[in-house]
Amino acid sequence: MLTDRRPRLAQLAGWALIAVAAAAIAFIPLPGVNTTPRHVTIRVEAAKFAFAPSELSVNSGDTVTLELVSTDVVHGLYVDQYDLGVEADPGQTSRLTFVADKPGSFRIRCNVACGQYHPFMIGRLTVGTPIAFWRAAGLALLAMAAIILGAVRPAREAPAT
Amino acid sequence: MKPRSIVLSTRGMSLLKKRGWQVALTTVMLAGLVFTAVAGWIGTPIGSRNFAIAFVWIGWFAALIIFLIPFIGRGWCSICPIPTVGDWVQRGNVLNPQGSRPRGLGLRVPAIFRNMWTQNAAFALLALFSAAILTSPRVTSVTLASMVFLAIGLSLVFERRAFCRYVCPMGGFVGLYSQVAPIELRVTSLERCAACQTKACYNGSANGYGCPWGVFPASLTRNNFCGLCLECLRTCPNKNITLRTRPFAADLAMPSTRPDEAFKSLIMLGSAMVYAAVLLGPWSAFKNAAFSIGSLAWITYAGVFLMLVLGLLPGSLWLVGRLSQRFTPGVEGTRTNPSARAQSPFAVFATPLVPLGLAFWVAFSLTFFLTNGSYVLSSISDPLGLGWNLIGTAGVTWQPMLAGAIAPLQTAILVGGFIWAARVARRVTTQVRLPSTPLIGFLFLPTVAMLWLLI
Amino acid sequence: MRLREHAARLAILVVVAAAGLIPLAAWLRTPLVHARMAESGGWGPDVLHARAGKPLLVRLTSDDVVHGFAVGLSDAPAVDVLPGKVSQTWLEFDQPGTYTFYCTRWCGPNHWRMRGTIEVEGVKTEGTATVSPPLFQVLGIDLDQPHPAATTPAVVPDPQRGAQVAAEVAPPPTLSLDAYRSHSPADVWRTWRADASLSGLTDAALWDLVAYTYNSQLASADRDDAARLFAANCAACHGERGDGQGVFAEALVQSEPDSGADSSMGHSADATRPADFTDSEAMLGASPALLHGKILRGGMGSGMPMWGAILTDAQIWKLVNLLYTFQFDGESGP
Repeated sequence: MLTDRRPRLAQLAGWALIAVAAAAIAFIPLPGVNTTPRHVTIRVEAAKFAFAPSELSVNSGDTVTLELVSTDVVHGLYVDQYDLGVEADPGQTSRLTFVADKPGSFRIRCNVACGQYHPFMIGRLTVGTPIAFWRAAGLALLAMAAIILGAVRPAREAPAT
Repeated sequence: MKPRSIVLSTRGMSLLKKRGWQVALTTVMLAGLVFTAVAGWIGTPIGSRNFAIAFVWIGWFAALIIFLIPFIGRGWCSICPIPTVGDWVQRGNVLNPQGSRPRGLGLRVPAIFRNMWTQNAAFALLALFSAAILTSPRVTSVTLASMVFLAIGLSLVFERRAFCRYVCPMGGFVGLYSQVAPIELRVTSLERCAACQTKACYNGSANGYGCPWGVFPASLTRNNFCGLCLECLRTCPNKNITLRTRPFAADLAMPSTRPDEAFKSLIMLGSAMVYAAVLLGPWSAFKNAAFSIGSLAWITYAGVFLMLVLGLLPGSLWLVGRLSQRFTPGVEGTRTNPSARAQSPFAVFATPLVPLGLAFWVAFSLTFFLTNGSYVLSSISDPLGLGWNLIGTAGVTWQPMLAGAIAPLQTAILVGGFIWAARVARRVTTQVRLPSTPLIGFLFLPTVAMLWLLI
Repeated sequence: MRLREHAARLAILVVVAAAGLIPLAAWLRTPLVHARMAESGGWGPDVLHARAGKPLLVRLTSDDVVHGFAVGLSDAPAVDVLPGKVSQTWLEFDQPGTYTFYCTRWCGPNHWRMRGTIEVEGVKTEGTATVSPPLFQVLGIDLDQPHPAATTPAVVPDPQRGAQVAAEVAPPPTLSLDAYRSHSPADVWRTWRADASLSGLTDAALWDLVAYTYNSQLASADRDDAARLFAANCAACHGERGDGQGVFAEALVQSEPDSGADSSMGHSADATRPADFTDSEAMLGASPALLHGKILRGGMGSGMPMWGAILTDAQIWKLVNLLYTFQFDGESGP
């Protein structure tokens, strides 16, 4: 590739800036939205092949009790990354209590085979803000900006193929 | 620019030319396919406990999209069992040509079908039924068997591997994404090809069959349609064909202008997003629509899916192309750029969708595999759900793997794929003298959507 | 060479045929009892054969959801039958006859229909036990008639106040087991109201005493067992609190469209709704014998299963004792 005519130092500075910005986006802890931890109980009904409600939302730090009520067959409720699960027969509500100390967006799934589409019986638990998504989107935005800004720098020509 | 390449040694080449290992490997794959079809039909209907689902859709598919395609391109096609029986029946032999007449009608595939549109339709169709295919062992069994019988039928009517080249729904995306792989099969010297009288690579000889993929090796500049079956290695009388390494995605330097390929990459992009939304998302209305095949809700879902992959996404890409043309400054600062207006940049603009779509599929499959991969182990020990324990892993309980690493991995794959696609976008837009920003912006939106769906 | 070609063809044929035939043969040689939801056919096979005195190995798998397997009127533990997995149990029968096996994990509103039989052949070694008719038949109770209490209290009686009343009244009135089982709480109240030694109690206090008496029939030793039986067998329709609001209640109401107000039994559309054990008016008018009969026989034009082949008499009486406790607020029992 033809080298850019800008001074090498400026080019290195540009890369360093991008690297720092990327690290910041990826790792800087956000100021916690300081909500008082509550005790939250959410009744979740499970039928083939969905949870109702399927999107749950709590604050970071809450003590969450999920009441699993199966309405047709034996179902389970498992929370990704918290690695906690419980199962319930119809007629026997089960409870799963835990402290939501990990912020983010987590899938909840049925972990008891309940029929053909059981692997897709999935819901979502959001604790606080879905921070991992925002970081990823931020990185993509940074990448787009860097590439576009790189593209509009003058005197850049594509290599002959 | 000559690619830095590692060319196989003479010894290596002569090993590849021997047919025995390929027939042996293909037979093993065929035995695996037969076992899978039988296990799928008579074994437990519970997908997670049946080899046909666990091994094929969780194990093999993840291996295909995450490793095989990105690293050895169409390597799977060289040992794929689906066309094998058709080949043997068509050729009348399992080893070298014996001089007997080929069986079957040997017709040329009609020109109207000599493109990717049939494969696009086949894949889109399979995608609509994917909920059932991915979860029901019997449906998988029937699907696999149907593909084998279709391949046999086509081999008896048409010449060469008509199924693989023009029909196979897997082949569409395997070929498309094989452009990324760091290996290629090419001729060494075009002059030697020009001087060759027999063109045995295409017409066949006593040492092997003419290219089953209907490709003339001298014209190979991309990996898409070479199935790495290595027949041409055996037939070329001039030792002019070689298998060698090259940089990743070297093929994308010469973007395709074919609309069928462009549509293929759009279909793959769209279906990755739909799968992520329907299969891994929390929206039960979409899921129920996708599961209840044949119902009105499913018909609506099918309509929305087809409108997305055949209408909305291609339409947006076309629009981006047109807008880029409209807003291109000319040489003297005018707002027109006559040379770019001559042809729509649609197909060229679809080129960055190759790395982006591959990244989408890798990210999606990785989630699926890490979450459900434990089923693969148990299905090896108890493939039919009969209570066996062949290698002691039948009792392995479902346990997601590396759960905490999934989000960072997906971020890396999707953002990395976006960066790669954006760089390809810069290169192809420069080649047609159009601005890259609109196209890069167009790539950004599905990337963010996929990040939101998966993370 | 032709030889190589033929050898290759043979090798391929053998390998591929083995890949297909070996699993097929293994499958044919593995008899399993398949559990499926009743809507999909139930147990397959649903008749098993055994010989008295000879242990029978039963290997089970589920083709859809979680099921369980147990033999009725037996205290052998139930075995879970899980989708795609194989579980097994050994059964042994001392006497020939027909036994019932059933599903023990709720698998839909028709879960209770998932039953099969085990035909046990052999020589009888015990004399035939005399079978006495159930109490409701002896008493001539019509199980299908509504049973509102003839007299009802103004407020829901309180067993805890009743405990205090029982402590204060001397001598406390006794109720023999037979008398308890044959009479509804309303009957007992009328009997005690006519008793001169209790004339000092107000109507309400007397109701409290009756409530305390019926509420405490469930011995503390039996409480866990009864609760477990109720949770496993009854709560899905009758509700975890016995209020008739179980997860299948709505499905049952909708599935019986013919139970209109003009049915010959005099039932309203609500007849198909699972009974509400918190409804004092109905419960105070029901004798234990009536409840025992309903559990034993089922039917009644609703989806109530027949439990006679599954639950032993002792288990049914424990459940009956438990049923009276749902209508009273607060803790049940002494």
